This record gives sequence, C-alpha cells and structure tokens, in this order.
Amino acid sequence: MFNITIDSGRMTCTFPERMDTLACEKYQAQIDQQVTQAPTPVTFDMNGVAYVASSFLRICLKTAQALAKGQFELVNVGPEVKKVFKIAGLDRDLTIR
Amino acid sequence: MTEPVADNVDEIMRKASASAAVFSELDQDHTDRIVHAVFEAGFKNRVRLAKIAVEETGIGRWQDKVIKNVVASLLVYEDIKALKTAGVIHEDFERGVVEIAQPLGPILALIPVTNPTSTVIFKILIAMKTRNPIIIKPHPKATRSSNEAARVCYDAALKEDAPEDCIQWIDEMSSEDIQKIMSHKDVALILATGGGSVVKAAYSSGTPALGVGAGNVPVFLEKSADPAFAVEQILASKLFDNGTICCSEQALVVEQPIAGKVRKELESRRARFLSLEEILKVEAVVYDAKRHVMSIGVIGRSADEILRMAGIEAPPDVSVLVAPLEGVGKAYPLSSEILAPILAWYEAKDFDAALNLCIDLNFHGGIGHTASIYSNDEATILKFSKLMNAGRIVVNTPSSQGGVGGIFNTLNPSLTLGCGTGGKNITTDNVTARHLLNVQRIARRRVNPKFSGLDGRLFYDEKVGAAEIENLYHRNT
Repeated sequence: MFNITIDSGRMTCTFPERMDTLACEKYQAQIDQQVTQAPTPVTFDMNGVAYVASSFLRICLKTAQALAKGQFELVNVGPEVKKVFKIAGLDRDLTIR
Repeated sequence: MTEPVADNVDEIMRKASASAAVFSELDQDHTDRIVHAVFEAGFKNRVRLAKIAVEETGIGRWQDKVIKNVVASLLVYEDIKALKTAGVIHEDFERGVVEIAQPLGPILALIPVTNPTSTVIFKILIAMKTRNPIIIKPHPKATRSSNEAARVCYDAALKEDAPEDCIQWIDEMSSEDIQKIMSHKDVALILATGGGSVVKAAYSSGTPALGVGAGNVPVFLEKSADPAFAVEQILASKLFDNGTICCSEQALVVEQPIAGKVRKELESRRARFLSLEEILKVEAVVYDAKRHVMSIGVIGRSADEILRMAGIEAPPDVSVLVAPLEGVGKAYPLSSEILAPILAWYEAKDFDAALNLCIDLNFHGGIGHTASIYSNDEATILKFSKLMNAGRIVVNTPSSQGGVGGIFNTLNPSLTLGCGTGGKNITTDNVTARHLLNVQRIARRRVNPKFSGLDGRLFYDEKVGAAEIENLYHRNT
C-alpha cells in the first residue's frame, strides 16, 4: 500500500507490490509535494515491492536531487529490485540498504 | 511522448542502462506485447518510411523498400514471435540442465544507408524480443528516415508500457563521440551493419560486436540449369531496389554449353552487354580506384542512370548492365562488389574452370558472405558449396531474397548476415533474436559414472597410456 508518514523529522514512503507506470503516475505528485513542502530526510521503504518501472527510477533520482546529499535512502530493498538498481548503475548514486 | 535523444554519450548510456534494468524485470507475456506493437507500427508505416528513405538518400526504389520493410516487420516478427526469450527457455531433466535467458544490455545498432528503415525495424524487433534497449546510430545520409522508423517503433513500444528509453536514436554525433559510445563500458553489444570501415571500427572498439562483411556474390550457372528460369530469378534479385542488398548477384559464371542461351535470355529481358570501351567508361564512374571500392554515388542507381553518368547513350528501358570480363581482381574493377544493376560475365569452358572463377570472385572481397548456384545436379551443388567460403549458398534462388531468408527458403529472415571468420565475424548465421541473449545454465548434479568409476591412481602412473585408460573408461562393469 502507498503511504507517506512523517515521524521525528523523517518522511517515509511505502509502496504497493508493483510500482508500474500507472502507480508511479498516481503517487508521484504526492511525493513531490511532500518533498517540496517539507524537505526532510526521506526514506523509501521498499518492503514488499517486487517490480519497479522506469518512472520509479526517475522518482528516486528526482527525490534524491531535491534533497541534500545523504538525505535520501531506499531500505528493505528485495533482490529483484536491487538487481534493477545495480543494472541501472543507480547503486552508485543512491543509498540503498 | 517522444523526445530526441541527448547528444551526450554519457547521458545516452545512463538512460540506456536504466532502461536495461527495467527491461530485465519483464516477463515473456509483457515482452511479447511490446514486440507485437513494434511489428504493427513498422508494418503500418512501411510505405511512408520507404518513401522517406528514397527521398532522403536517392538510393533504390521505394516500391522495393516497402518490401524490405515488410520483410523486416512481418517476416521477422513471424520468425521470432514464438521464441522463448525471458526466464526459463529450456529444461532437460535427463541431463539436469535448465537454461535461463537473460538480456545482454544496451545494444548500439549501426544502420546502413542502403536499408535505412528496414534495418532499424529489424534490429528494434530483435532487441525488444530479447529485452535489450537499443540505440540507433543511423548513417549520416539517412538520419531522417532511420530516426523516423525508430520513433514510430518507440511510440508503439511505450503504449505497451515498455521501459522508457528502450529505443533511442542519435541525430548527429561527432566521430570522437561515435568512438566513445562504441567503446563505452555500458554498451553490451554493437550490432554493426554497413560498409567495411564501419564494421571494422565496431570490432576494433573492444566491445563485443556482431557485424557483417562485404559481399561479392558469384553465381554459377551450371550446364544442367534452366537458362530462362535462372535469368528470370537473377534479374528479380539484381534489380530489386536497384541491387542494394549485399547478397545480390555480382558476377555470372556460365558454363559454355548454356552460355548462348543465358545471354539470349538476358538480352530478351533488356540486359545491355557492354563493349570493352563501354566497360572502361562505366568503371570510371562506378569504382573508386584509389580506395578500391565501389563509388558511393552509384549505389542503388538504375542501369540507365549509370550509363548516362558514364557518358553512354542509354536506352530508357535498359534493365541491367552486363560486363564480359577476362579476369578477377583489382585490374578488373567490375569484378568487385557494386551495389547497382551491374553484373560481371564470365564464360567457363568446363566445370573446374567455372569453380575456379567462382573461388576467385568469392575471395575477391566476398569471403564468408553468400554464393549462388543454378543447377539440377545434386553432386555439383554439394561440390560447389564445399568450395565456397560463404555463410549462405542459395540454390536455384534469387540471392538477394534468398540470402535475407524467409521468402524462398527457411533461413531466418535477417537484415544482418554473418560472414564467419573469413569476414572477421563470429558467426555465419543470419543474425536474429537468439544471438542477443545470454543463456545461463543451471547444472544439477549428474555424476559421470565412467569417470568416477576409474581408479584415480592410474592418472599418476606414467606407464598407463591413453589406449588403456580409454579402454577402462568405456568398460561395462
């Protein structure tokens, strides 16, 4: 399920199992709005996410670029999605735990 | 929806890598939907793209380029659609081996000026089928047509939720950047179709490459051939798109018993046999004597255009120029590959003389590519085939359409024809989707009982010979 929580100055997003193009279009505005309004450290909790589309990679890059260095991270990344970030070379630019 | 690609190599490759990553997640059903959409788009635009190609390059005939687009879309799609290219593609329980298909990664596709839209459609289809993003690098003289073909394919792919940037195309690029992208660490493969220098550059880049070599197709008309049928087929091939296909006929080697009939059949179809004086005039315009290659300006021109360029009065309905030659090699420029309606002509006194001429032609710039024979004698066909260094030997078949495959034979339809090691290629195959996969093999434990049954101490005893070990290895106990 998609959800945004802000706790102790940190914004955390959770996502549905498939972050395909449609899902990204649906949630991107909410993420952008929160990041713009309250540029806190941001965590994308990838627990349960098994598929990400190109749009999701773009959301990650856009979010990371909007924040200060080290203020964005992906956590609980499963192996299928981790491989995607590896092939894309984004593991060099993003913090993935 | 569609954006032109950035002109920055690193940016292109960053996008391609991200696309490769997402592509690797897709299953077979999703992949096949994308491939079908690309096929439909290529087919739907076949006429428009053909006209743009001829308008832009001035090469060939739009009507024949339509057929090339049909081959590249319909025939290639039909050939690859049932192929398994994602996940488990083969299981052999007895051997304990399971094969898994993985994509290669970003492919750089070099596109020739002669087939600027069909080659784009073909390469995109086989790349999409194998979940590889592709970067189209058009020939500088065919940028508009190649990139328009790429654009329609990309728009169609996106509608089936293909990864963003799975197809990119390059508008302009400096030679330094071309070198840079060819050797970029994130390019998985270069799919090179074009002239010798392009293919050589691809192979020299350090990136794995599938390329093609130049052709110089000899056609052997053996005495058992049917002259009327053979000439009809040869002209259907040689005149197709004004001879721009690299596997089109270049020289006719005719056994003397049927030479008169073949000549008559050619002349009845408006072929123009050139005199020695005319040959010299034609050579001067169709052959670059400094570089020892055909002149670029003659590629895909009609026979009457070439005659006019050579200052020879041209009958309006001349179909093909035929040049009787005494030998093969640099001293005889028309014995080289000329992608235009020109055929060299040799009369051979017997079978061995004909074979020797064909070997000379084959090794004069066409090693590994294609050879053609018209014969009704199986032993002759086999002997000829064994002596040719050619990936394809087409029999009683127009060689342009025969080499490309899928129309007159069951070869894989392809716009990229491997020429084997003779042509500095890694394959003699018609390149297709199966060449764009990494195949992983899960190997289950299946102990070799013949090996495990041997007494390992024997290996350390130098008195034990190979015959003894072989005997023990195969012993039934």
